[in-house]
Amino acid sequence: MKKKKTNYLVIENIILLIPLIIYGIFKNGYLIYEKGYINFYQIFKPLYLPLIGIIIKLIIDLIRYHKIKIDYNLVYVILIGMIMPYNINIIIYSISLLILYIITLFLERHLKFNKVCFIYLIIILINFYFNKFTFENVLESKFTYSFTFFDLLMGRCIGSISTTSIIFSLLAFSYLTFSFYYKKDIPLFINASYIILSIIYLLITKDNSYLLNSEVLFGSIFIAPLPKYSPLRRINQIIYGISIGIFTFILSIFFNKVISIYLVIFIISLIPNIKSKRKVSNNVSS
Amino acid sequence: MKTLIKINENPNINMVGKIYEFIDPTKIYIPILTNTSFHKNDYVYKNNYYSDYISSISGYVSGSKKIFLNKKFVNALEITNDFKENSHIKRRKKKITNREELIDNLKRFCLFDLINKLDENKNNLIISCVDEEEYSINEFMRLSNNYDEILMTIDFLSKILKTKNITLAIKNTNAKSIKNVKSIIGSFPNIKIVLLPDNYLIGLKTNLCEFLNLKEDDSILFTTNEIYDLYTTSIKFKDITEKYVTISGDALTKSFLINVKLGTSLKEIIKKYCKIKEKEYNVYVNGYMQGVNVNKEDVIITKEINTIVINKNREDATECINCGACYKICPVNINPKRCYFNKVINPKCIGCGLCNYICPANIDLKKVVKGDMYEEKEN
Repeated sequence: MKKKKTNYLVIENIILLIPLIIYGIFKNGYLIYEKGYINFYQIFKPLYLPLIGIIIKLIIDLIRYHKIKIDYNLVYVILIGMIMPYNINIIIYSISLLILYIITLFLERHLKFNKVCFIYLIIILINFYFNKFTFENVLESKFTYSFTFFDLLMGRCIGSISTTSIIFSLLAFSYLTFSFYYKKDIPLFINASYIILSIIYLLITKDNSYLLNSEVLFGSIFIAPLPKYSPLRRINQIIYGISIGIFTFILSIFFNKVISIYLVIFIISLIPNIKSKRKVSNNVSS
Repeated sequence: MKTLIKINENPNINMVGKIYEFIDPTKIYIPILTNTSFHKNDYVYKNNYYSDYISSISGYVSGSKKIFLNKKFVNALEITNDFKENSHIKRRKKKITNREELIDNLKRFCLFDLINKLDENKNNLIISCVDEEEYSINEFMRLSNNYDEILMTIDFLSKILKTKNITLAIKNTNAKSIKNVKSIIGSFPNIKIVLLPDNYLIGLKTNLCEFLNLKEDDSILFTTNEIYDLYTTSIKFKDITEKYVTISGDALTKSFLINVKLGTSLKEIIKKYCKIKEKEYNVYVNGYMQGVNVNKEDVIITKEINTIVINKNREDATECINCGACYKICPVNINPKRCYFNKVINPKCIGCGLCNYICPANIDLKKVVKGDMYEEKEN
């Protein structure tokens, strides 16, 4: 078995995200440009967002350590850029990311929480204060589409800027399952519980729109198993996965299909803090 | 049994195929564990025992020194070789016919580890020719060179212990040993050869018994070098004054197996046979994976030492990413990460070093989990 170093794992993760970003450029850039709704430079918006994150991370590294570090923060900022809505304002995004990134560096010392979801949720709140609460791109908001199963599979559905391609997400997952360092039980159990509930819902209400949710797939493959914020033991990983799957489905119905998985991951990632605080209080009382 | 893995080879280790002989050291060191007084220029005979440790040469006491032994530093007597090999001890030469006689004989040679293994009423005798450590070739070379004596001793031992099944387990990569053993195995029909996959920890008694479908409680495990020690002491009635030691590592110009006198200093061996090409290096006694990092080359070859690895310094550790690989790979289901951060020694740890090997952040987990923290205490 080959040992992999942290920087190797980081680069491997980033490489797996590239096809999704390219598909994002195609879906949320090229197709809209072809219809004449955006100019040439706006085609690459799905690429700008991760790049802004990378630049912020590198600048902060240079200030903190006087050198560039290839660590998981690099993956986090890329992921944040990928799960943003299409209508995000780049200036708002850049400023909020910079401030939130610095804040989380301090918060992390005292609290354990999923940084990606936390920053994402705050930026989303800020963005929706200035923009419309929607995840549709220009074309999707102008026309009414009826997506087929194949469309959903390819990634033509409404979602974040670079996460909609189910095919590329599945390909990345199939590669990651062979990695010793990847917690594959988490995405398996998230999707299994989510799909089972969707099928039950489909049988009851005849609504199949919850069955193929690219956001749930992306979140379960790339964000929920992020090593720092996920459990170590297999049994805990299974419980973590199942609970994310169930609560995501419930929130998808009552709240929003796109945000729900990130909100659930963020809330569940806070649970270890309650546990550890309880431990501390028990030790003090004993 | 957890799925066993194959450890990746270090491409920077240059292993020499032949065995070197170094049986004329200028000085040897004998650990002195009891309050015995010695004076300078006292004469020491060859084959004399001092608290379980043999004098492998004859010569004069020329001083004392602190040496590394069993994870700590102890006082040792420095003896300068007179190259005369004077010995005044005469050993019995009566053939051993039962277990009690064998135990009595082994006591004379201070082979207490072997005595502890000689249990009665066990049906399975397993002889392992497995070198667990990367680039350790002690067992493999012992079987390749002394296969005749080893098979004879296995036969002798099985008759004394009255074991029903005798298994000689060899890794399937050790072609030379397999070829040599097969050439004479016809004379020993009761010995069964089993080929093992080249996986790490396959030589561990639990794993070996599981692989061979044998009950662990009903089995006795010996290594080929232990069998050779039995041959020397209980068939030839000679003292063990020499042993095979693998000296390897990516900080050395070459890696090799050497037959040395017990008590020889590592410094003297390195000076004669190779060079250390790195400025900063670490010395691991008994292997890189399972051994202890001593950070010094003041190591003396004692009967406990099989392998010495001199490697370039480990890369600096980075922040733990909580990947869980150490927990996933641990054969005894310890959570090394938790032990490391809580600074807790776990008695269940077998010191296999897999957590250190797999850690992507290069954290020296084993040092805490196993409790190999003598350096700090020493400092």
